[in-house]
Amino acid sequence: MSSFEMTVTVIDPIGLHARPASQIVKLVKDSGVTVLVGREGENSVKANSPLMLMALKIKTGETLKVTVETDDEGQATSIVAQIQDFLKG
Amino acid sequence: MSKVLTGLGVGLNAIVAEVFKVNPPAKLPEWSKTTTGTAAESQTLKDAIASVAADLARLGSTADETTAEIFEALGYLLEDESLFDMAVAHLDEGWSAAAGYGMAVNEFAEMLAGDAAFEERIADLQDLSKRVQAAIAGIHVGLDLPQTGAFVIVGDDFSPADTAQFTPAVVGVITVKGGPTSHTAIICRSRSIPAVVSVSEAVALENGQSVLVDPVGDRVVVDGTLADATKPLEFANTGNDPLVQVRANIGSLDDAKAASETGAVGVGLFRTELLYLNESSQPSVERQSQLYAEILAAAPDGPITVRTIDAGSDKPVPFLNMPEEENPALGVRGYRLIQDHRGFIEDQLKSLEAARIKTGREIWVMAPMIATAAEAAEFAALARELGNFKVGVMVETPSIAAVLPDLEGVVDFVSVGTNDLSQYLYAADRMNPSLGALLNPWQPGLIRTLERIASQAKAAGIYSSVCGESASDPAFAVLLAGLGFDSVSSSRSQVDAVRAALSAVTREQAEGLAKNVLSAKNAEDTKSAAVAALSAL
Repeated sequence: MSSFEMTVTVIDPIGLHARPASQIVKLVKDSGVTVLVGREGENSVKANSPLMLMALKIKTGETLKVTVETDDEGQATSIVAQIQDFLKG
Repeated sequence: MSKVLTGLGVGLNAIVAEVFKVNPPAKLPEWSKTTTGTAAESQTLKDAIASVAADLARLGSTADETTAEIFEALGYLLEDESLFDMAVAHLDEGWSAAAGYGMAVNEFAEMLAGDAAFEERIADLQDLSKRVQAAIAGIHVGLDLPQTGAFVIVGDDFSPADTAQFTPAVVGVITVKGGPTSHTAIICRSRSIPAVVSVSEAVALENGQSVLVDPVGDRVVVDGTLADATKPLEFANTGNDPLVQVRANIGSLDDAKAASETGAVGVGLFRTELLYLNESSQPSVERQSQLYAEILAAAPDGPITVRTIDAGSDKPVPFLNMPEEENPALGVRGYRLIQDHRGFIEDQLKSLEAARIKTGREIWVMAPMIATAAEAAEFAALARELGNFKVGVMVETPSIAAVLPDLEGVVDFVSVGTNDLSQYLYAADRMNPSLGALLNPWQPGLIRTLERIASQAKAAGIYSSVCGESASDPAFAVLLAGLGFDSVSSSRSQVDAVRAALSAVTREQAEGLAKNVLSAKNAEDTKSAAVAALSAL
């Protein structure tokens, strides 16, 4: 299986807090694909756990790397676009 | 004589009803090891999580939309896969299901600690952990509130899961802990349920006792009647000018427009950081001056007091690098940012000068979190070099309040931020719900500090003002005028109420009120001295 790597920016003034974390996990679980989220150059975490996402302590203004493991580029783009939307606050 | 218990009131309406005590659930068993094995214990844990999840779903299905969303989010935390995996790792070590889940939650709580945005979530997570452990031990944790009748429920504090179980029979609420911003207070305010929180003596209340919940009086009266309830103060419209100028607090263009619909004379606090929170890079001087010019032009007539950036690691501005700190409230915030971001503060002052010239408005500038007279002098020199402003500093730290006479000839004005001054004076974190009573502005330690600030400012020829939340309370505003402050600045929704109060009193009356308040020895007596003086008008 191939994977697609894209970036998103956290615009939400509180950073990556409980609400967007839950929204991302719900999206990932519904889609059935594996999604990894993390800072550039650091280890990523699986986006199936809101607590792991919150424990990254991502602040407003940070750029995140999102990796979607799928062969369907359209699906990957759509997932990343929705994650970006959740991070708008 | 009826017994009076004091706390912090939520809401304006009083109620009399019977006490219904919510007892804390039975103590959870100590964590222990077992020999049943990982497979059996992890099944026990799975079942317990499923039963708590079903409880949450049931509570969420009958709740309003906001509460239902809270329950959905709690469900995600409860059923978090990584949390379960961490718990299973403890089961492998021989711990019981309850112990393994409790330990895993503690580990996540530690990972999330130290970040103000997560404090409430950690509390939610620990609440869920208790529910799961209780389900395993077969302990019942529901509140079992009556469905009919009318009761004042009394408890330690109420979590989101608790308040969602409030039935129509809950007509009043008393909590032993919690402050003005606790979950209980927020829910009661939004549902108009009269409440008094932070009532330490409420532990002694008994089921069946009749109590008056008197939020305006910040008290609970055992055997009290509605006739004993404290009335919200009302002031006759005298048509006089207020005793001191009433300015408005603003943070955006919308605020500035709304403030100009009130009777405010100028702006006493323009919080500039709100303009930068959504910018991913530092805006140019041209862009900043354009934003400022729009807001200055829309603001109510009179001088406009602009506070330079007041951000910190708990309130970060995206393009200023703000490393995490152990104690953000005591960290590099406000004017202290000049250590690493002098260019940003200079650009802010240059932009304001350009906007001042463009709009022709009178601008006062002040810096937040000033701790020494040397910092005040440094800021004053910088501001005078970059613009034609009146220059001042915020008084929020006890250290600058202690050396106020040294500011003579250094600054034109001072403005007191009572929220932060309380936090630092009482060493009480504003984010901590257990410390609400110390942050009550009617605390004598704060009021006597304010008295010294006003009189020393006057002696030093410095104009003095108060722009904290307390200046939005009409009775407190009269006290501030009586203490000798030259103006107050209120949130825009309160400007007209504060003006009405300050128009209804003479200087002699305000000074008499201040004298009585200064002689009181606790927060209850200071407030009642003020209310008594105003009721007698």
